Amino acid sequence: MSEFLTFEDVSKRFGAIRAVDGVSLDIRKGEFFSLLGPSGCGKTTMLRLAAGFETPDAGRVVLAGRDITGLPPNKRPVNTIFQSYALFPHMTVRQNIAFGREIAKRPAAEVRRDVDDMLRLIQMEDQADKKPAALSGGQKQRVAVARALVNKPQVLLLDEPLAALDLKLRQRMLIELDMIHDQVGITFLYVTHDQGEAMSLSDRIAVMEAGRIEQVGTPAEIYEAPRTSFVAAFIGDTNFLEGEVSRLLDAEYGLLRVEGFPDVFCFNDKTLPAGRQVTLSIRPEKIRIAREKPDGPALRNVVQAKVEDVIYLGPTTKYWVRAGGRRLQVLRQHSRFALDEKPIRWTDDVWIEWHPDDGFMLDRFRRDDEKLVAPPPQKVGEN
Amino acid sequence: MKRSLTPFVVTAAVLAFFYLPIAILVVHSFNASRFGGAWQGFSLRWYAQLLHEPEIWQAARNTLVIALTATAASLVLGTTAALALHRFARTRLQRVHYSLIYIPLVVPEILMGISLLMAFVAVGLQLGLFTIFLAHVTFCLSYVALVVLARLQDFDESVLEAARDLGAGWWTAARRVLLPLLLPGLAAAGLIAFTLSLDDFVITFFVAGPGSTTLPIRVYSMIKHGSTPLINALSTILLVLTFTTVTLSQRLGRSRAPETP
Amino acid sequence: MRKKLQEAFLTTPSFLWLMLLFVLPTLLVVVLAFRPADPFGGIGRGWTLASLRSILNPYDLEVALRTLWISAVVTLVCLVLAVPTGYAVARASSKRRRILLLLIIVPFWTSFLVRIFAWKSLLHPDGPVKKLLVLLGLSGEPTSLLYNPGAVVLVMIYTFLPFAILPIYAAAEKFDIRLVEAARDLGAGPFAAFRKVFLPGIRQGLLTAVLVVLIPSLGSYVASDLVGGPSGEMLGNKIAQRVFVDRNLPHASALSIVLILAVLAPFLVVLALQKRKGRPAVILEEGL
Repeated sequence: MSEFLTFEDVSKRFGAIRAVDGVSLDIRKGEFFSLLGPSGCGKTTMLRLAAGFETPDAGRVVLAGRDITGLPPNKRPVNTIFQSYALFPHMTVRQNIAFGREIAKRPAAEVRRDVDDMLRLIQMEDQADKKPAALSGGQKQRVAVARALVNKPQVLLLDEPLAALDLKLRQRMLIELDMIHDQVGITFLYVTHDQGEAMSLSDRIAVMEAGRIEQVGTPAEIYEAPRTSFVAAFIGDTNFLEGEVSRLLDAEYGLLRVEGFPDVFCFNDKTLPAGRQVTLSIRPEKIRIAREKPDGPALRNVVQAKVEDVIYLGPTTKYWVRAGGRRLQVLRQHSRFALDEKPIRWTDDVWIEWHPDDGFMLDRFRRDDEKLVAPPPQKVGEN
Repeated sequence: MKRSLTPFVVTAAVLAFFYLPIAILVVHSFNASRFGGAWQGFSLRWYAQLLHEPEIWQAARNTLVIALTATAASLVLGTTAALALHRFARTRLQRVHYSLIYIPLVVPEILMGISLLMAFVAVGLQLGLFTIFLAHVTFCLSYVALVVLARLQDFDESVLEAARDLGAGWWTAARRVLLPLLLPGLAAAGLIAFTLSLDDFVITFFVAGPGSTTLPIRVYSMIKHGSTPLINALSTILLVLTFTTVTLSQRLGRSRAPETP
Repeated sequence: MRKKLQEAFLTTPSFLWLMLLFVLPTLLVVVLAFRPADPFGGIGRGWTLASLRSILNPYDLEVALRTLWISAVVTLVCLVLAVPTGYAVARASSKRRRILLLLIIVPFWTSFLVRIFAWKSLLHPDGPVKKLLVLLGLSGEPTSLLYNPGAVVLVMIYTFLPFAILPIYAAAEKFDIRLVEAARDLGAGPFAAFRKVFLPGIRQGLLTAVLVVLIPSLGSYVASDLVGGPSGEMLGNKIAQRVFVDRNLPHASALSIVLILAVLAPFLVVLALQKRKGRPAVILEEGL
């Protein structure tokens, strides 16, 4: 059994709101697992259920085979890093870190040794006698981590720990957290709304929305093979193409009839029969854009389009094009010196193409999720 | 943008307005002359005379005893009230509770004085130090409750959760985290209650009995019967006392919230 | 269930105390107004409206009216002085602000008996103010500065000004001064910007300031007692006189009801005005 921390069909409601709705989740020992989702999706509630600050209305929380659902937080072998760090303002760094060990009534010499080890891990031996008010944001976070880790918890729970930091600091702390995880080897359960954090840190991610889990997988699986339109739209950008399977070409590929487009070749990984409705998610970087019609193997999707927006970003340029009556995003990387070529401009007629393998079939498509990848307005004040 | 000087001029005038009478009073307390008109040399005779009045000492003792006991009682009552108001903020009971705490603060003292007097008379309670104590607790309670409530609202709850997360039970968390952090607020509230009790006149006047004089009542009767130089001296002493307690309270009351990163 | 028990446990002490020592006594006063006065002092038997009617005499009405106009004047002057002061303190540098606040708060907390007495000495016929006014030819020798409504107004302004400054300072501190700059940028002169942007912006503070001056003024006792003389008598003094001198408790209660109503009216008005903007403000902010 590699399942270490398990949520079994857990539900929690606050008044009329179902914060967590029948969620089951298996987290493996030693992994860096993230709960990713927009605010209000239930990820923080899940964390608090694991910590013991909330008790589920239904379901169980199991840690290393032991049912901890009824245990109060001070009896659980887990520790939390709070969003505001929650360092004790009236205690020094050393006293903060020592707190858990002292509560556990460990002998003074052992406590001192453990605290010194932690101070060395976070590189703050010189600041051991300072109070939290005298520390910077990054330092506070490190103390919070040390204060938790010194107790050698079985799981470390992190509640959006980087949210309060500015960009540069956040990037550095991201790497530090990663290093600490590698060094210490404890299971991390990390909650965030920031895809960048989740993708770069995690072994696996669970994307949550409205109290439910949309998908669990590695970052690459989530990005390249989103199961639902929410996952596809929440993480990165994408294009949705709705259509109906018109013909199967062989065991692997099929044709989709998409309104306004020539028939679309796509990889039929869901082995859908003809007549079935399905929506494809195509990531913008998977689409190529050119002024001349590309020629190549027959099994490619080539469509004419008109450029409506050009957003130059430096390493890349994002194009919004109109094809087949709908607007699509294309992301082009400038892997050669860009000034040598004639740039593609607004109102140019272009050709876009993508490989059938690169359009991924979604299990579920919701109209609302299109709002997450909405194209820019074309008039001031347009919705 | 040109800064108008008017606000600063007015502020200076207001401050002068505040302190001039007090300054003159303090100066005259050292005036050897009996009549405040002319300065006749520096003298401490009025202070000496004050210190030899047994009635003054008695009144001072009463005032202190009442202030200390009323402070203690109102701290307990006010803090429990604040804890209730903070933790159970939206319930109907607390909304009524909040109004109950709030209203005594906006009621003129004379109304409280007369209603307490009538109540004590109605139940046959003899007017004396005890009735003064009861009255003082009644108005100090609200101040303490609101000061402590303000501190609780500034208080970062997650610190308590952190303590529990790290293994502390409720009582340990309260003892090692909540109380130390709340203590400055409690001290500030206590000082306020103490000062209010020390200085109170109107309510005390209504509920005091014969023989249970407090310092403010003594000052009042002295003013009524015109022993001016003594009042100057006594007032100066009271001023110094209040100044000390207020400065202390300000130091303690200054919020020690850590800076945001 | 545990939560309800906890709540009850924490709420009961203060709740009970205030019920017994605040609400019930106040109700008692209201009830007593419906009892007749015993000619030998105290309360008679039975119920009557006579005690209430007895306050409709010219003397009591005069006192009530005087109380109203004195309180109104005091409140107005305090507001006019407090707004620039509160503004100046809010705009001062951090260090200066702390000192200024301390300077304002100290009189706020010192015994108001002492402060009133200080003025009584100043306004005394032999005192410096009278001498100065005579010197400047602004006052004739025999007229006394004391024992008239004017002295009461002056002393009350002196007593209540800190009460007015603090809430206005609190509101001015929270006010975003850039709004005034925006108004100037759009062409408003300094006074127009002040009137149209700053004053509405500190509305909460203004309302609180009105309350904390007007209501104690209406119930004022000491100021009018010490420097008011017979022509400066206010409602509070009348009530005390009825209680201690005339021993006519029902009449005192009837007058108290008038005072309660006089205090309730502005309070409800301000509450209604504040509700339009959200929760009622806690009056005690800075200074505590």
